[in-house]
Amino acid sequence: MPFLNHGSYRIRYELNGPSDAPAYVLVNGLTQYAELWAAYRDALIARGFRVATFDLLGQGESDKPALFISQDDQVTALHLLIQELCNGPVFLSGISFGGLIALRYAIAHGDRLAGLVPMSCFAELPPQLFLLGNALRTGLILGGTSYLQDLLLPMNVSDQWLAPVLDRLDSVKRQGWLVNDVYALQNLMESFLDFQPLTPQLPSIGMPTMILNGEFDFLTPRALHETLRVQIPNSSLVIIPRAYHAFTLEKPALTADLLARFAADVMAGRWHGNKSVWIAPEEAGGELMPFPAGYDHLRAIPVTGAVA
Amino acid sequence: MSAFFGPLDANGRVPARQQTRVASFLISAHGALARRFALALPLRLESAWQTELNAQFYNESEIVSLLLRATSWTPDLALGYLATAWETTWFPAAVDGFPDQSLALAVDLATFAHAVHAGIRPAALLPVEANANDPFVMALRRVEFESGRLLQAQIIFLKGESLVPFRDAVSSALERRHAEVRKLWREMLASIDISSDENGAKS
Repeated sequence: MPFLNHGSYRIRYELNGPSDAPAYVLVNGLTQYAELWAAYRDALIARGFRVATFDLLGQGESDKPALFISQDDQVTALHLLIQELCNGPVFLSGISFGGLIALRYAIAHGDRLAGLVPMSCFAELPPQLFLLGNALRTGLILGGTSYLQDLLLPMNVSDQWLAPVLDRLDSVKRQGWLVNDVYALQNLMESFLDFQPLTPQLPSIGMPTMILNGEFDFLTPRALHETLRVQIPNSSLVIIPRAYHAFTLEKPALTADLLARFAADVMAGRWHGNKSVWIAPEEAGGELMPFPAGYDHLRAIPVTGAVA
Repeated sequence: MSAFFGPLDANGRVPARQQTRVASFLISAHGALARRFALALPLRLESAWQTELNAQFYNESEIVSLLLRATSWTPDLALGYLATAWETTWFPAAVDGFPDQSLALAVDLATFAHAVHAGIRPAALLPVEANANDPFVMALRRVEFESGRLLQAQIIFLKGESLVPFRDAVSSALERRHAEVRKLWREMLASIDISSDENGAKS
């Protein structure tokens, strides 16, 4: 398996699909690893893309710095990976922590990207997310990786996803537990201790941007995605129906389809963000619906909105 | 070579040869930590942070005691020279970049403890079929779990304000200790037909 070198650290990555095809680069969230993108790899390659995946520093089979992991190092690792691709269009997508790294990359190296898809993402740490993050970190410290997984799973996926695996939850968690170490996860979480909001820099993201947010995501709720929509000029917000924070795990066919369609639209010159708000279809291939006019997309009940 | 213990016996127990060598390694490492914490521990505590030294000392001793009792031991002639190599590596090492010798020694102890607690994951060697009611299996799970908790004292100290001026020296000493401990751990595992890649990842 190939590795990139960043200083004394090695970053494990994988490239699949035709080398001259437009590329999708996918960035993991916390406790994840590159293999979790397998369904996306297959779906996107079938749609004519090259797919790049990697383990963030501190996760999976990449090196795990012992004491500190800076988010700048993650951006550098991502930059090294994107340099491995040919000069064709590059689309970048990341979920949660990976979405934040993707945002940072887009701010620093936007000229290299044809499109950006932040998913379940945030540019600020408002009190709820800050306190939730602290509580999750305490959970990791007191109960280890397994307990952190126990906290994240019911928060991040639906009953429909959990019910069939409830009697074999340990096996669902096992690979994530095996490849993630407590200290490395803790270092990743503590990379937020000096976090500065990215909001002032979001307007510099000039490329087409499709923001994906699960309808029921309460870890990074709608308001956090709204910041991205309002601040990123050529963006649109797409709400994934009945989805929670980790909808990339739960709805891979739908999400991969949305990624492929977004890239195809951008490359064909059909994409117009217009800071619009959409509702994704329930299944892959369905039509996106504009969010009903006159209603507030930040509310869970249909109240007449004042949001522009 | 497998990434896990095995082949297990009919009762889901780890082979005694593998138990003996893994337990010996862990006893050597945690025993060395217990000795060094004991030496650093004053008879009468004078500062609040010394309460953590007391906890670390007794937890390390508990790990040694647990492994001594939970392991199915078998004669292992190689243990003589293996243990010599391990014990030599655990010796206090000079840490450059600190003006104060006592601080350098404290950093060395913390980096060694961090490397053992963070870098060694014995429970990750257990295959899914391992018998959860076997004392050795439970002991490894407990050692890994407790290591994650003990580690917090090292993280707080090594990331703490007092060491900010020496951050590069601390990071370099810590990465070196991790590399040393992981190398011995990997070599010991390879000697009992267990593979572990450089980053400890497995699937």
